[in-house]
Amino acid sequence: MRKFNNRFQPVITLVSRLLLGGVLLVAGGLKAFKPDESAGAVAAYKILPTNIAHLMGYALPWLEIAIGVLLIIGLSARLAAVIGAAVMLIFVAAIISVWVRGILIDCGCFGGGGAVDPSKAAQVHRAYLLEIMRDLGLAMTGIYLYFFPYGLLSVEKPLQKIEEQ
Amino acid sequence: MAKQVKATKASGGDNFTRWLVIGMVTLVVATGAIFSVVGQKTKANESFAALNNFKVGAPVSASVDVANGSGITINTGAAKTIDLWEDPQCPICNTFEGANGAYIDDLVRTKKANVVYHVLSFLGNESVTAANAAYCAADEGHYLDFHKAMYMVQPALENSGFYTPKNLVKIGGYVGLTSNKFVDCVTKGSKLDQVKAAYDSMAKYNVKGTPTVFFNGKLWERKNSGFVLDEFSAAFEAS
Repeated sequence: MRKFNNRFQPVITLVSRLLLGGVLLVAGGLKAFKPDESAGAVAAYKILPTNIAHLMGYALPWLEIAIGVLLIIGLSARLAAVIGAAVMLIFVAAIISVWVRGILIDCGCFGGGGAVDPSKAAQVHRAYLLEIMRDLGLAMTGIYLYFFPYGLLSVEKPLQKIEEQ
Repeated sequence: MAKQVKATKASGGDNFTRWLVIGMVTLVVATGAIFSVVGQKTKANESFAALNNFKVGAPVSASVDVANGSGITINTGAAKTIDLWEDPQCPICNTFEGANGAYIDDLVRTKKANVVYHVLSFLGNESVTAANAAYCAADEGHYLDFHKAMYMVQPALENSGFYTPKNLVKIGGYVGLTSNKFVDCVTKGSKLDQVKAAYDSMAKYNVKGTPTVFFNGKLWERKNSGFVLDEFSAAFEAS
């Protein structure tokens, strides 16, 4: 396993960066210019007081875009990956929270969001499960990047490696 | 693994890049958020333009019927009764209002029916704030106009930050609700008990969604998928 990692680490790092960064960039980009939708989506989780939830709905897409760009180009990848993984884990916690409280919503992950009709409860619960698994997977890529932030095609290189060459 | 951790420790010396990146990210997020907030404010103000030529009707006295799910009732004792269950944020209620609102207003103003408005709040915090304001308006005899005006400016999305006490007071201003009593009632949430009672009564009456209509206590089952005035008025006449 370690041998495999040693050999392919630069590629795995690149793939992880593109995966996590790509998802964040797309998710942020789809929401950034629909602030009312995004604000409504965050408020629908009923975790934060409404006005703070709205503010978060306005800010979150831009954070996703910024982190996504950093990961894709490979600048401060470790820092960006830690934030990205933290954001994913917060999403997981939020979805578990609404599930436990029996609230039915569209997660609003890629735009949209808000309450869903009770007749679609089964579909919503299946969606929650998939979203939790997806976000956990993305959090894993972020954690991997914490340990191996430098790979192929990254703007930033470790100083020591440059010296070694 | 050990190699890369070591390498990054060495590059940890490049604190400048790190702080530059943190600074840039913060700047992007702050600019984006401020941009959105300002945009939303402008949009909300523009939506008020719809109320510029609002014709305020005569006040109609209303009371709250605690026994009937704390609904706002007008013309108690009339021969026919219509129970309307609506949430201020529900977009389909707005469609219903567009089709039948003027007809119902007329029934109320000509005292042809006892209409009970059950102002629900199951769509989130902003429905609660808006429902509270609706009860405040009812207290001052301006429920009909306030209800109509609220639908005229209803945002496309629920809980998007529009139904704040400030904006609700502003809506009130367009329909002649300018008293300090109304402003106080909206900002302090004086009617929250009634709002909660109305919401809690949904189970008792087996109301699962909005809009729901009862004619003389009997559930109206519409045949048309949309709302058609002819169907509604025929059902009322037949009731």
